[in-house]
Amino acid sequence: MTRTHDDARTPAWRRYLRLLRPNAGGDVDDELAFHLQSTIDEYVAAGLSPEEARDAARRKFGDVDRIANTLYTLSQQRERTMNRSEWWHSVTQDVAFALRQLRKSPGFTIVALLTLALGIGANSAIFSVVNAVMLAPLPYANSDRVLRLWDKNGADWNAVTFGNYGTWTQEARSFEAIAAWWPAGSKTLTGMGDPVRIAGDQATASYWKVFQIKPVLGSYFSDADARAGAAPVVVLSDALWRNRFGGDPAIVGRNIVLNGTPTRVVGVAPQDYILDGSAEKIWSPLIIAPEKLADHADHELSVAGLVKRGVSFEQATHELSQIQRALAVQYPHSGFDDIHTAPIADAVLGSNGKTLYMLFGAVGLVLLIACANVANLLIARATSRRGEIAVRGALGASRGRIIRQLLVESLVIGVAGGVLGLLVGYAGIRFLVTSPVSVPRLQNAALSPAVVWFTLALSIGCALLFGLVPALRAARADLQQTLRDGGREAASGSRDTLRGLLVVAELCLAQVLLIGAGLLIRSMMMLTSVPIGFDTHNLFAASIALPVARYPDAASWDAAFRQIEQNVAAIPGVKSVGRSQVVPIYGGGWNWTAMREGSDGHDAGATVADMRSASPDYFRTLGLPMLRGRSFTNADVPDAPPVAIVSRSLAKRLYGDADPIGRRISNGSVEKPNWREIVGVVDDMRANGPRDEAPLTFYMPASVFANPSQTLLVRGNVPVLTLVPQIRRALAGVDAQLALSGPSTIDASLGRLLALPRFTMLLLGLLGATGLVLATIGVYGVISYFVTQRTHEFGVRLALGASGGAVRWLVVRQGLQLAVIGTTLGVVLALFAARLLSSFLFGVTARDPLTFVVVPATLSVVALAASYIPARRATRIDPLEALRST
Amino acid sequence: MHGFGLARWIQLTTDDVLRVEEGSLYPALYRMENRGWIRADWALTENGRRAKYYKLTATGKRQLAVESRAWDDVSGAIAKIMAARRAPA
Repeated sequence: MTRTHDDARTPAWRRYLRLLRPNAGGDVDDELAFHLQSTIDEYVAAGLSPEEARDAARRKFGDVDRIANTLYTLSQQRERTMNRSEWWHSVTQDVAFALRQLRKSPGFTIVALLTLALGIGANSAIFSVVNAVMLAPLPYANSDRVLRLWDKNGADWNAVTFGNYGTWTQEARSFEAIAAWWPAGSKTLTGMGDPVRIAGDQATASYWKVFQIKPVLGSYFSDADARAGAAPVVVLSDALWRNRFGGDPAIVGRNIVLNGTPTRVVGVAPQDYILDGSAEKIWSPLIIAPEKLADHADHELSVAGLVKRGVSFEQATHELSQIQRALAVQYPHSGFDDIHTAPIADAVLGSNGKTLYMLFGAVGLVLLIACANVANLLIARATSRRGEIAVRGALGASRGRIIRQLLVESLVIGVAGGVLGLLVGYAGIRFLVTSPVSVPRLQNAALSPAVVWFTLALSIGCALLFGLVPALRAARADLQQTLRDGGREAASGSRDTLRGLLVVAELCLAQVLLIGAGLLIRSMMMLTSVPIGFDTHNLFAASIALPVARYPDAASWDAAFRQIEQNVAAIPGVKSVGRSQVVPIYGGGWNWTAMREGSDGHDAGATVADMRSASPDYFRTLGLPMLRGRSFTNADVPDAPPVAIVSRSLAKRLYGDADPIGRRISNGSVEKPNWREIVGVVDDMRANGPRDEAPLTFYMPASVFANPSQTLLVRGNVPVLTLVPQIRRALAGVDAQLALSGPSTIDASLGRLLALPRFTMLLLGLLGATGLVLATIGVYGVISYFVTQRTHEFGVRLALGASGGAVRWLVVRQGLQLAVIGTTLGVVLALFAARLLSSFLFGVTARDPLTFVVVPATLSVVALAASYIPARRATRIDPLEALRST
Repeated sequence: MHGFGLARWIQLTTDDVLRVEEGSLYPALYRMENRGWIRADWALTENGRRAKYYKLTATGKRQLAVESRAWDDVSGAIAKIMAARRAPA
């Protein structure tokens, strides 16, 4: 790059260039050239020749090129800061102007802000849940390497057998550690006030390695603690430690009494180990007896493995699958043929992800409706501001400048709506977090920085979405025409079309939401009207666990439970008392194979059935009808002739229409059958909730199917919850150290079972209603505008003798058009969208005719009503007034 | 005053004591302009040439007051040190 600093004269073309834009480089060159030339002039005046003068001047000045370059850089910096500050200045001006404009029309501002706040807030709330439940990494140090493992059987997967778990830990090379746990660690804590039942898991020591989080206090238990004969130890959950032990910092090493046994506390586990709620919980070592490791048929354990660094989940799954298939060959008919694996994050999320995606989609639709509404308002506003905009244009504002001004207004509305949306979102998050559903990590949902950023981005996105088209349209308006009209609103066909389209879109989206909500409501109605099979009202259940230390054998268990039943039955107000290992709705059952005589265990004479136990009064307490034969009696003890009761469906499956009474049925293996005589048939019940068919069920006497932990079932003549203190006293009368665990009514358990679908229905219903309200406002706005615009025309019509009805029809027809197009498109869209809902539906199809007729009809009626109000106004136009004002 | 004039003025008022390389004056001027201490405008000299004239801004005047006070402090301190050296120990 050569520059001549000798020429003091700026070339003419460069001066013109400077008119177009600031020319930093040119200015520098000019300034230096002037300096040098002035010096040269001095030297020449002093008598030097021009050449000598030039050299002397350059020497005196220094390195011209270097200095020039420094100056270029400096002046460029200056221009950048100047441009920035100028830009900022004009933006602040725009913002201030926008705020003034919005203050001038408070009605518009309030409606737009509330609409946006609702739409954006709903999205923030759902996003905060999505963020906490789905996006946030699990709290474990290596959660990206943890794989949940199940025994797979055909299309099903099951808990893992002790035998399979043992084999995996020995043979699999892809894992750093494989952990197993099961919820068998619940224990009664005594010596701290009233005895209390604490939920707990038994876990292998590797559990703490696979799910690694630093303990709050002490350490976790080790392999040595999990050996048979080791001194009993326990890890407490943070909540338990704080609630029951006052956060005692010296708890580690202390003995606490669990199930009557002094147990040493080795550590306190952080709350992060409990993903759903602030539960009190304990962990004890899972001690696996050697003979258990030979069992490949009893599916009991939850298992997860920490995959080695550098090994992919696919590789680990592949290796384990080979081991498992070899086991399946070795142990056929053991309820597994392969393994099923899932990354721990997916396993924790389960089917909740689907619900969240669905809700996220629904709030997205609400936001789109809100944006369409605001866009509609903006178009209407731009129309009434055409005069102002035209004047600005005439005064020299460029199109870009006007568009920017209008966009800044949209951004101000959008951001203000977003800020209000944060408030709505906060309320929404409180509502979601305190809901009765149990979704892991739901309680972590909060207005976190991520949620705030999301909200901000969303509001800016919305502002562009609803602001861009109105801004472009407004700026395109014909200047001259508008000014000639005196800024008065003129009928503009295409403008109406756009507004109409927006309303059609709103109606269409609202339709989709409402049909979705309608389908869920129908499902819920079906779910709650399904007969469970027994009377669920006023029925109380609680489990009781006898400490094995003091109740060593089945006889002592039976004696204790009989005594408890007797004491509780004696309470005034108690109608009847029964017990079972697990009672319906309240807890799950065991799956065993039941077979009739002559079956080889794999033919039609054998089937997988729910295994449950029943005390003599159990069926009467449930209110489950005895169809044939008798119930169990107190004589049905282990030494007596073995008997069983079957459910109606099990009898039908094994014996068809023949009478099963007196026949023999086995719940043992083919090699070691365990024959029992069928003495009764009871009716079916949906033991696992209304969603699942009634299981085929096989009942054994409670005294025979012995277990130190049983569930007590109490039916009251009076409201059963009022009897709980007396039930506790009756229990203490048998043994002061026993506690009721998980006391609940069956109705409450049923409510918990249906909590998620009910809550999902409620949310989608709320969103649908919001969509409906917004779309109605949209219809009303457009039709009112239509009426205002054609006041003159209606005046003429009325003056010429048109009836009020005719004018009304003219207006309502517009609304009808929008409603018909909107709902029709909505129905078509909903037919597709509803398919995504099918896994949430019960008893109705995704094309439920009733929903698809009633909902569109309702929406159309509402839309018509919204257009009828402005229509009535049209008929009240005074023709004279209308004509004079033209 | 334009850059050339400034350079001459410094040379004259300091009786040729401060005769720095003239070119290094300009970066200083540009930096001051970037900080908003001085403002520049193009104008014609009496010879009819276009030159960039610099003016002190209000901020610049405040800055000048601050700097000259600081300079007075420093030079005063140095003067004291020099005086002390000459004093009997």
